[in-house]
Amino acid sequence: MPTTVCTAKASCKKLPGLLELTNTHLQWTQDGNKAPSIRVPYADASSLFCSKEGAAQVKLKLGLVGDDAEHYFTFTSMPQTLALAEREKFKQELTAIIGRNRGVIDSPQKPGPTPIKSSTSLPVTASGTTGAQRTGLALGRPSVSRATSVSSDRRATPVITGADPASEFALRKKVLLANPELGALHKDLVMTGQITEAEFWDGREHLILAQAAAENQKKGKPGQIVDPRPETVEGGEIKILITPQLVLDIFDEYPIVKKAYSENVPSKLSQAEFWKRYFQSKLFHAHRASIRSSAAQHVVKDDPIFDKYLEKDDDELEPRKPRNENVTAFVDLLATMEDHGETGNEKDITMQAGRQKAALPLIRKFNEHSERLLNSALGDIPAAKRRRLDHGEDGLAEIVIDDLQDPESSDGIPLDMQDRQRYFEGRMAGVGGSNSDPSKPHDPKLALQALRAGVQGWDARLAELKVERKPGDSAFVYMTQNVMNRLNVRSQKNDIPPGVFKDMIACQTATDEFLRQFWSAVYPPLGDLQVASQATPAQRAAKAARMIGYISATPEKVQKLIRAGEMHGCPPKKIETAMKPVLDAVNQAIKFHKMKTGGKA
Amino acid sequence: MKFFIDNLPIIFPYDRIYPEQYAYMCDLKRTLDATGHCVLEMPSGTGKTVSLLSLIVSYQQFFPTRRKLIYCSRTVPEIEKALAELKRLMEYRLSCAETEEQKEKERNFTGLGLTSRKNLCINPEVAREKKGKVVDAKCRDLTNSVACEKGRANPGSVELCDWHENLGKMEPGQLIPTGIFTLADVLQYGHDNRICPYFAVRRMMPFVDVIIYSFHYLLDPKVAEQVSKEMSKDAIVVFDEAHNIDNVCIESLSIDLTRPMLDAASRNVTRLGEKIEEVKATDAAKLQDEYAKLVEGLQESLEPDNDTDDYMANPLLPDDLLQEAVPGNIRKAEHFVAFLKRFVEYLKTRMRVLHVVAETPLSFLQHLKDITYIERRPLRFCAERLQSLIRTLEITRLDEYSGLQKVAAFATLVATYEKGFLLILEPYETDNATVPNPVFHFTCLDPSLAIKPVFERFSSVVITSGTISPLDMYPKMLQFTPVIQETYPMTLTRNAFLPLVITRGSDQVAISSRFEVRNDPAVVRNFGSILIEYSKIVPDGIVAFFPSYLYMESIVAAWNDMGILNEVWKHKLIFVETPDANETSIALENYRRACDNGRGAVLLSVARGKVSEGIDFDHNYGRAVIMFGVPYQYTESRILKARLEYLRDAYRIRESEFLGFDAMRNAAQCVGRVLRGKTDWGLMIFADKRFARADKRAKLPKWINQYITETASNLSTDMALTLSKLFMRTISQNPDENQTGISLWTLQDIEKAQAKQRELALENGKHNKEDDDYGDGGISDSALMDLDMDD
Repeated sequence: MPTTVCTAKASCKKLPGLLELTNTHLQWTQDGNKAPSIRVPYADASSLFCSKEGAAQVKLKLGLVGDDAEHYFTFTSMPQTLALAEREKFKQELTAIIGRNRGVIDSPQKPGPTPIKSSTSLPVTASGTTGAQRTGLALGRPSVSRATSVSSDRRATPVITGADPASEFALRKKVLLANPELGALHKDLVMTGQITEAEFWDGREHLILAQAAAENQKKGKPGQIVDPRPETVEGGEIKILITPQLVLDIFDEYPIVKKAYSENVPSKLSQAEFWKRYFQSKLFHAHRASIRSSAAQHVVKDDPIFDKYLEKDDDELEPRKPRNENVTAFVDLLATMEDHGETGNEKDITMQAGRQKAALPLIRKFNEHSERLLNSALGDIPAAKRRRLDHGEDGLAEIVIDDLQDPESSDGIPLDMQDRQRYFEGRMAGVGGSNSDPSKPHDPKLALQALRAGVQGWDARLAELKVERKPGDSAFVYMTQNVMNRLNVRSQKNDIPPGVFKDMIACQTATDEFLRQFWSAVYPPLGDLQVASQATPAQRAAKAARMIGYISATPEKVQKLIRAGEMHGCPPKKIETAMKPVLDAVNQAIKFHKMKTGGKA
Repeated sequence: MKFFIDNLPIIFPYDRIYPEQYAYMCDLKRTLDATGHCVLEMPSGTGKTVSLLSLIVSYQQFFPTRRKLIYCSRTVPEIEKALAELKRLMEYRLSCAETEEQKEKERNFTGLGLTSRKNLCINPEVAREKKGKVVDAKCRDLTNSVACEKGRANPGSVELCDWHENLGKMEPGQLIPTGIFTLADVLQYGHDNRICPYFAVRRMMPFVDVIIYSFHYLLDPKVAEQVSKEMSKDAIVVFDEAHNIDNVCIESLSIDLTRPMLDAASRNVTRLGEKIEEVKATDAAKLQDEYAKLVEGLQESLEPDNDTDDYMANPLLPDDLLQEAVPGNIRKAEHFVAFLKRFVEYLKTRMRVLHVVAETPLSFLQHLKDITYIERRPLRFCAERLQSLIRTLEITRLDEYSGLQKVAAFATLVATYEKGFLLILEPYETDNATVPNPVFHFTCLDPSLAIKPVFERFSSVVITSGTISPLDMYPKMLQFTPVIQETYPMTLTRNAFLPLVITRGSDQVAISSRFEVRNDPAVVRNFGSILIEYSKIVPDGIVAFFPSYLYMESIVAAWNDMGILNEVWKHKLIFVETPDANETSIALENYRRACDNGRGAVLLSVARGKVSEGIDFDHNYGRAVIMFGVPYQYTESRILKARLEYLRDAYRIRESEFLGFDAMRNAAQCVGRVLRGKTDWGLMIFADKRFARADKRAKLPKWINQYITETASNLSTDMALTLSKLFMRTISQNPDENQTGISLWTLQDIEKAQAKQRELALENGKHNKEDDDYGDGGISDSALMDLDMDD
């Protein structure tokens, strides 16, 4: 039996169903049917297309090798973001598979375009954040910075589960999608009604929390600087691929372009024309700000519209926009420069900063870009306030050497004891009673004598030492056996039929789950974490009884497994051994339950 | 903790101490006892400043003489840090003090830091000026004695500075309460009490126990004359971070003249002439008065009534201060102006020459005399005479006269020194420039000249740094005899830093910043791939240093075009040092934010540049320092060539030896800033094949060199990466809890070491008992210490 990599609700030809990706096939089963109606082996998948992000329906198209037939799947999970996430998961897996197929089949066709159209499948960065906001916990909390949002999550722990059923459901679904094994277990137990959804998740809240935290984690912007590099295509023409993301990035990086855009489009220029002219203008080449731009100078045309927005090159020794904010005293370089009048001869030419004028705008662009990225992640608070928040009033942390502080010296709490003096006096008296005279120092000579007497005749005594035969032999036999056992395990082949093996695993995980439920019902709840979902003792007893009912069925199931194994030619002993720990655990639970109920009765 | 060195009780503001710190303090004490000078090298990041302050303050508080401490550092951030250390130390001492009397003594201990008016001014009218020179000039206009007199006599007639006026109403010596004030504290105190922080500190200087300021305030005669001349001779002088002290010495006696400066100077001369005519018409007595004073001699005429009248500084050393009367031909104001005019014109003519000229001061003076009949003697008095004239004429906005001041200072210097100086006229900026841009360099070649008065005047001068190897170079260059000269190895229970020498890229092409190959694409790419690979594996901050601004700027552009920086952007943010100091400070602060935040960043900067001096990259601010190339000086520089020649002739220091020494001390300075404390860790990467040579490495400080293994001294990029990864995996484990006893001492360990030392001393003492005496028949140290001074 193949294992499932991922599953999702998806419709095919307008019929609702379940799309699954196993480790060999992609299959789709119509709701209500048992057998999948579409099964595509991995080797047959040849191409993959996805609908645009933000389209009305979340679709996926799979093309097959040597077959014109294509399969369309529409992801129907609600809300749509969940469908998107599912689709993303399938896309990832299938892309990898198709990639492998291509490698294997060394296709005679030319290496065509990548299976995924870049323009459609480019993940728009904004989706990460908006998605999180929509599916996220909707607590209406503005996530200022990563650190604060995480910490508040933790505090809100018990509230999250059960605050918003819809979003929690989505989270659960994602957790199950991400862990196929857990998903299988969920299918076996919850969907068959053996245990309830709530019971299943009881004790697994951390998975949901982790998922929620992961979703709420604000992703920083990628660090790369916007630098559209034109590719030359045949005919000497230059092509720059404009994606919505690129446009956003350019606007973000160069506000002046945004200004130009808002002033000129669509009144004077069409959108396409705007970009065409922009990439040919001096403005663009000024923005690229590299040594390359000087080579490109002759291609650049004068452009009446864009040249208006041209700024002076930022290549003076002082920046074009002087910044007057104060910096921390410990990094203040200006103060050093102004600390004393200028003296000495000028520096030699290699040490005069800013002689490479062309590099200066570039260097400034780097600093600005880095600062912008930092502010986008940390928020743009004024420097003075930020420093207060970060370091407190004084910068002592910068000068203190931590490892010279004695870590233990501060940790102790003096024991506040009543009648301390009497206590110690009492002890002194007691000690004094047992020992003749504590104030009298030990006589080293006496001690040495005693020691010498103790070791006298050690050689004779050593010779008398005899090891008993019987325990020695038994130890030796035990060791040999141990080695043999290990050897046996090593040399054994894994020859349990795969079907039976899978059933065994299923049986074991199910029993584990029952046991977990049982013991958690029996034992007092952990800490005060889930105050909200606290069950009454009666409920817990009922649950334990129900679980023990399932658990007592396990030996029977094991017997069935053994019989099934026999049919496939597997020695029953083997399966028995394999299932023994499970049975032991089951027996333990039953015994405990009997004892407890018996005690009550 | 509290312990004793000999009889001296030391209070050290931590519970533990590094063995290096203990040894350092012992040596320091020996120096102070012997009233001599010393050179001490202590590994960076092992708490040098705190040991130094802890010992000296203990010394000051124990002995009734209370020798003043003059602590000099290089940069304002370092000054501020030293002040913060001192503040922390005093708080600790106060908490340790047992009796109320002791507490009072600790409370009365005062320490201040001094920096320029620009950094300390809080008068909004003045402080908003951007240039320090303008701030100085405006401040003088508001605070000089003549203006003050007028303003006080007739309020409203002259604009005065309220903050300065408030200061005048206070009791001298009580302007600032006792205790330690950092620069920020002093500013805050000034704001709160509406007094001028700058003058408060200046006037408090005779009363404080510790004063912390920059090297220049003691070495540069122009400043030292105003600021430091009242320091008593028994003061303890410390030059911390002194590895570049020779350069500061040289700078303080060197001057450049350019065409624009001379043009400004001739305009100044014309204005002075007009002013004299004006004064003659209105108040001729004033000029007469001045003339009479000048006949008597300069000294009396120039004795300033107070510290606000520092119109213009004399570039001469106190030794050479003139006691004689001003020569007759420049006594009269109009004669002096004509004299100046002639001199400026002469300099202008010299500048028209289109070939390089190098000459000694003597030959310059000879030529000057031949052409203009200007004698050497009046030239020497130029600066003083100008100062007197400016004072008489009550000239305001002195910054506008900076051109003329430069010329006058130049005249005085050139006429005073015969040896150790050279004049170099360079008509073109570079060898292949076509437009002349002449510069007249008057360059000092001998660092010992500027520091000589310091050694002569003060009995104990401590020269110390984290990287000051080879030690014997400094006494040689600065011409002094230290009583103690010591370098301390770093004791570590585990290697906290990993120095690696990368000599070739993964493609086996040798890498080097040698001029011939530095722009070779293969070298540029290999340098780039080192940065990319390290930005992938190193957490938080990486600092990269280049040998020069020129090289950094060209390589940044090249890397951008090669797509190398695009790779780096994927892993880290990039910050680059720019020509503007404030801009760079902001970049630095953002760099630190990125490191704190976990985003990680790369800082590209220049060895010997602004950032390499005084900014620490400890802990997450610098997990790796990459030194791209060997930071040699530009050997084509004529000034450097002249200096090398002088060093060879005067002190027998070979050119290559000095160049190698200079490059390695700067490289060591860059990489040494990654550590603070022994649990901190960092990678030190030397990327140049020339670092592999044993003679280069031998010039590194011992504490770095001892950890460069034979295998780590010749690596390709990929090998270095493997070693680095391994190192980071080990170092990220929990530190071995038990450093104590080996690299970390408790009080017991100190006592153990002392007991051992006593034993050794006893053994030695039997052999040479007589040697301990100085042989001068004076009172021995121990006798002094045992003397009960309270009676």
